[in-house]
Amino acid sequence: MPYESFLIAGLLLPFVGGCVAALLPTNARNAEAWLAGTVALIILALLASAYPRIVDGGVIRFTVEWIPDLGLDLSLRMDGFAWMFSTLITGIGFLVVLYARYYMSPSDPAPRFFSFLLAFMGAMLGIVLSGNLIQLVFFWELTSLFSFLLIGYWHQNAQARDGARIALIITSAGGLCLFAGVLIVGHIVGSYDLDRVLASGEAIRAHRLYVPGLVLVLLGALTKSAQFPFHFWLPQAMAAPTPVSAYLHSATMVKAGVFLLIRLWPAMGGTQEWLWLVGSAGLITFILGAFFAVFQQDLKGLLAYSTISHLGLITLLTGLDTPLGQVAAIFHIMNHATFKASLFMAAGIIDHECGTRDIRRLSGLWRSMPITASLAMVAAAAMAGVPLLNGFLSKEMFFAETIEVHDNSIVDQALPYAVTLASMFTVAYSLRFIRDVFFGPASTELPRTPHEPPFLMRLPAELLVVACLIIGIVPAMTIGPILHAAVRAVLGSTLPKYSLAVWHGFTPELLMSIVAMAGGVAVYFALRPYLLSGIEGPPVLRHINGRRIFERVLVTVSWRFARWLENILGTKRLQTQLQLLAVFALMAGLLPLPVRWAVTDYGSASGFDPVFALLWAVGVSCALGAAYQAKFHRVAALMLLGGAGLVTCISFIWLSAPDLALTQLVVETVTTVLLLLGLRWLPRRIEKISPTERSAGTIRWRRSLDFVIAACAGVGLATLAYVTMVRPAPDSISRFFVENAYTQGGGANIVNVILVDFRGFDTLGEITVLGVVALTVYALLRRFRPAPESIPIPEQQQAQNVYDDRHPDRQKGDTLKDAMATPALMMALLFPVIGVTALFFLLRGHDLPGGGFVAGITMAVAFIVQYMARGTIWVEAHLRVLPVRWMGVGLLMAGGTGIAAWLFSRPFLTSYFSYVETPVIGSIPLASALLFDISVFSLVVGATVLMLIALAHQSMRSHRTPQAREARTREAAPMKPAK
Amino acid sequence: MNDHLMIAPIVLPLLAGAAMLLLDERRRGLKAAISLASTLALVGIAIALLIASAVTDPMLRIGVYRLGNWPAPFGIVLVADRLSALMLLLTSILGAAAVIFSLARWHRAGAHFHSLFQFLLMGVNGAFLTGDLFNLFVFVELLLAASYGLLLHGSGPARVKAGLHYIVVNLAASLLFLIGVSLIYGVAGTLNMADLAARIPNIAAENRGLLEAGAGILGVAFLLKAGMWPMCFWLPSTYAAASPPVASIFAILTKVGAYIVLRLWLLLFGDAAGASAQFGGEWLLYGGMATVAFGAVGTLASQDMARLAAYSVLVSSGTMLAAIGMGQVGVTGGALFYLVSSTLGISAFFLLIELVERGREPGADMLAVTREAYGEDDDQEEEEDGEIGFAIPATMGMLGLCFIGCAVVIAGLPPLSGFIAKFALLTAALNPIRLPPGGDVPVASWVLLAVLILSGFATLIAMTRAGIRTFWAESDRAVPRVRIIEMAPIAILLTLCAIQTIQAGPVMRFMQETANSLHSPHDYVREVLRTAEQRPHKGGGT
Repeated sequence: MPYESFLIAGLLLPFVGGCVAALLPTNARNAEAWLAGTVALIILALLASAYPRIVDGGVIRFTVEWIPDLGLDLSLRMDGFAWMFSTLITGIGFLVVLYARYYMSPSDPAPRFFSFLLAFMGAMLGIVLSGNLIQLVFFWELTSLFSFLLIGYWHQNAQARDGARIALIITSAGGLCLFAGVLIVGHIVGSYDLDRVLASGEAIRAHRLYVPGLVLVLLGALTKSAQFPFHFWLPQAMAAPTPVSAYLHSATMVKAGVFLLIRLWPAMGGTQEWLWLVGSAGLITFILGAFFAVFQQDLKGLLAYSTISHLGLITLLTGLDTPLGQVAAIFHIMNHATFKASLFMAAGIIDHECGTRDIRRLSGLWRSMPITASLAMVAAAAMAGVPLLNGFLSKEMFFAETIEVHDNSIVDQALPYAVTLASMFTVAYSLRFIRDVFFGPASTELPRTPHEPPFLMRLPAELLVVACLIIGIVPAMTIGPILHAAVRAVLGSTLPKYSLAVWHGFTPELLMSIVAMAGGVAVYFALRPYLLSGIEGPPVLRHINGRRIFERVLVTVSWRFARWLENILGTKRLQTQLQLLAVFALMAGLLPLPVRWAVTDYGSASGFDPVFALLWAVGVSCALGAAYQAKFHRVAALMLLGGAGLVTCISFIWLSAPDLALTQLVVETVTTVLLLLGLRWLPRRIEKISPTERSAGTIRWRRSLDFVIAACAGVGLATLAYVTMVRPAPDSISRFFVENAYTQGGGANIVNVILVDFRGFDTLGEITVLGVVALTVYALLRRFRPAPESIPIPEQQQAQNVYDDRHPDRQKGDTLKDAMATPALMMALLFPVIGVTALFFLLRGHDLPGGGFVAGITMAVAFIVQYMARGTIWVEAHLRVLPVRWMGVGLLMAGGTGIAAWLFSRPFLTSYFSYVETPVIGSIPLASALLFDISVFSLVVGATVLMLIALAHQSMRSHRTPQAREARTREAAPMKPAK
Repeated sequence: MNDHLMIAPIVLPLLAGAAMLLLDERRRGLKAAISLASTLALVGIAIALLIASAVTDPMLRIGVYRLGNWPAPFGIVLVADRLSALMLLLTSILGAAAVIFSLARWHRAGAHFHSLFQFLLMGVNGAFLTGDLFNLFVFVELLLAASYGLLLHGSGPARVKAGLHYIVVNLAASLLFLIGVSLIYGVAGTLNMADLAARIPNIAAENRGLLEAGAGILGVAFLLKAGMWPMCFWLPSTYAAASPPVASIFAILTKVGAYIVLRLWLLLFGDAAGASAQFGGEWLLYGGMATVAFGAVGTLASQDMARLAAYSVLVSSGTMLAAIGMGQVGVTGGALFYLVSSTLGISAFFLLIELVERGREPGADMLAVTREAYGEDDDQEEEEDGEIGFAIPATMGMLGLCFIGCAVVIAGLPPLSGFIAKFALLTAALNPIRLPPGGDVPVASWVLLAVLILSGFATLIAMTRAGIRTFWAESDRAVPRVRIIEMAPIAILLTLCAIQTIQAGPVMRFMQETANSLHSPHDYVREVLRTAEQRPHKGGGT
């Protein structure tokens, strides 16, 4: 195993550990902590073993191919900077795990917490180790996701839910911006590889997409690091358990933003845009964060704003756009992580032991928990920048850096004063943290009696505080080499001069420190009356609640505005949808025409026949009449449709297409009957549209619009059809069919040969469609309950019943029976006749007009006639039709006919025909196509009859008793899955 | 690849569906077994076809099956190339997931579920395989007919209402389809797609208008099926109303529309189409983007998860159309990757929704949203019992995990395939192959970037809202009873997304090669039109 693969092992280990952690029992706190701690320690050990290789500017790389086509490899890259961050992540991670073991309550579900925590650790390591910007974005978004899940850990708490959501939305929005920015950078550089990007700084800065790319990348970094104006998610995230706050929201995840800034500084920094965008965001955040922190009444709130402020400080350092600034920034990242994590742990201990973390209620804790108090005091002093602690060192560097001249603008000149002012607030809130919580009279009304926590719970904070001290006292010996390696990784071999000494003599920055200290104490005492009043937040500004503004905007944009837009841009109405469809089809059909359509002489293509024209006049008027009456008189419309269909049928005969004519005729017949059966159950037309809904003008306008669209579509389609038909026919495949139907297909009827042989596969599909439609009709009607107004029996039938009732010798239904007696007899006699006709059509189909489809429909007519004559009950008592079986057999046979060709190693549906000598009839043609036709026949009969039965049964149902109907309505309610 | 395996994806479901018609409705066990066996066999067949299509030799790669042994432009051909095989595999996987899911309870909710389902698969597979325009119509009709029946499965007013809208709209679109096919046949004189591609460059100038009118009308029909705005209003209600297994397989139906556009547009109006090259490209591009925007708005405006999922279908469809409309081979490759990823994710989500909603009181979503919109009551709302976590029951944990999986896939966030898909699309759009480094990227690419990223963000917001509401806010809710065969399909679909991420390299390579062959379809045309062996066994008319 090559040495480099320790990188991938280290990266995968937390994820694997997270998966294992998720599988442990709910209450396995100890096992979880052991697992997580071991993972962190192993990675720490790996990091320690790697240290010699990175310390002198070495870079450890590990690359495996991932998506070479997109130029994306799984590329891990560890230099001094990444090493420092990795150590921070795993080191603090280990301490947090230890701390969390004691912090979390035994009834908290441990697997969820530790598995997310480990997964977060992995994602965070992924960010810092990424050797590829896309991969960095990948892990970036993952940290947002796990942060969301960890903030919402106590999800029964509304604040946790809201905090989690705000954090996710802000940080992942930033992540998406970063993604876009990285895509732009990648576009400029031609690669997403970090090394190449870092080497292409000149090209990036010179490109005209530099500013958009920079802004997008900065949006990513600034949201993650909670910089103004995106800072407000961080205080909300404090609803998370304290270990999470200590780990994600102070030490690591929020540092990802500044990590990225520093990482990309060599490539994207060094411009006026960088100075202003990053610098001003950092400065504002630094000042505002410090100012707000003073006024927090919640310990964690204070620490959250202080974190924001310190992140602002680091951002400002990066934004100052000098190599020394980056050095100070890196140094402060480490220092802040150590003292802030320990402060969070202290706050968590206080919360844990006292039951509250409200500064107004806490007081004099020094007496009951002296060790914790000392720890917190040292850490807070480091935060304030007290000498001999690590915070002092980086703050000195920071002050020194602000004094330098950058672009010499007014802001630049005012910078030292501004940061000194902000530092006063830093001192003030640090002081407040110490004095208000640990000193003063012992607080009495606490939910729990405060005492020292278990040793191991305190240990992580102790270790961190010790680190603060050691670094603060002997920086060059301890942190020096690490900082050097990190700085070197970022800035390359030409390092700026910096000194880690504690004492630099009397310098301006020392003066600034002293002023800040003194001023901070003054500010604290000046503000004390206000703070003691118990008001949360600074005067005036506390009314500007970033979170509330965000929530309002979010609800307005993502809900109200979206609803409004949905209504504007969409519709749920069928009419509108059809209208749009028609308009689009019209446009699609007509737009290309004028452009390239040279009008040629089409008009006189064929002779004009007055009889044919008259026929068509009838047909067209039938069609128009049907359209006109469709809404007002459905039966009339249906009859007129029949008329139009008949004219079509005659036209086919006229144009020598007997097959089509025959098909048209039988289809026309059957559909008319089925539609008639269905008409009975259609709801009545709504005669009056209530005037409140729409004015008469609107209705008229709508109708005219519909009319215009319909007319245009009709005329357009007619034109297209006409133009297509009268133009000289192209060299078409149809000639092949004409030539080969008999010689190759073995049938004289070309249409039939096309249907069952040349394009038999289409027919197979179409009969399946027919079968499926029949099944659908059946499924729909099986549970169909007619509208209330169509339930009463029709007027005519009522009249008959009244007549029958009046005569004592008659029974209900006698009139109908009498009237139908003769037709019924005739129709019964017709049954075999029609059946034989159907058979005839079927058998002769291959050579003469006919075929399975026509035969099937004809056979269905025979059944329909019986239903009409005798009624459903009689027919079904005498004739057992199993239409679904017919369909199944038909389809199986059709498939089987096709498959049979496989036996002869031919493709599906290859036909075979020959002549068989029979004794009496003589030579008869036998084609496999006939079998196919028989299956078509079977399916068509089955499908048509199934639809018929489904419709016919409606009349039987609706006459049942109302009670039964009600019971059925209940059972027909949509299926609710059983509990 | 001229063996009968190619037609099996059509014949097998036909036989299975037909055989189940012969069985009594009460023999559920046997029907379930047949259906499951057929669907699983389809997965195997699709994998075999995919492997066969992945070889490098173009002669072997593109399988042509001449039905009835008739030569190419005259008879119907099936063509199995990489794209077809890919779509077949996707369909069969979704089909298997839906069938397994339905066995827990849904297949009992109405008549002939399994038969209709098999016929649907037959239609979808046929549409992916056929190389003939009219045959395509037939299979699209078949899948639509089956989808009408399946949509009504489970009945209830919402389904019937949505179903009738769906039927009417799609019948109208089918009419347009037919008109378009007729016009094209009238001008070009052929129905075979490859033959059409060969003939279109030579169409006389005066006939070109007519041809484009036909193509345009045809396009309207496909785009309606693909759900392009503003012809997509039927879709959300329909998909939201469908029963879970049905909605889950419906996720592939809009992709049929996208597939047809991809196949036909690149084949007929690719760069080789002479004067008609890139015909309608802008419509696809901007129509697709409008669809994404509308879908994103819709996801935000959705109260219940089913509607949210339905709008995600629109986002996915619109992304596909816009990406195809870019007309760049790299983007097409990314689009194919995206297609697989988003279809798997949405399909899993549709299955998941019902499990999650099980045991919740109806209307809870409505209340929650109204509360969010009108109340600041969160401030006053005190937590019930302090800061002690609840152990989420294992079922809820699994459901929650699956929800996160679906959400990240659909929103295009790491770690699952959605992110890679989006990256593939965008990096290809911003770095076109033919463009020298530093050259001008078309404005459309930037718009696409913005549209995709914003739609992902909208989806994230909507998903977060829905997820928090369902999983976190109702801690006292009854835990739904979920069976393993309901959970497994979702887990499998999401696992496939994970595999797609880990194996993104080979998968992307496959997609890219597919895109390459789509953009230069001469191999396709040549293989289809290769003169077939004559039919030696034919008796002739003597």
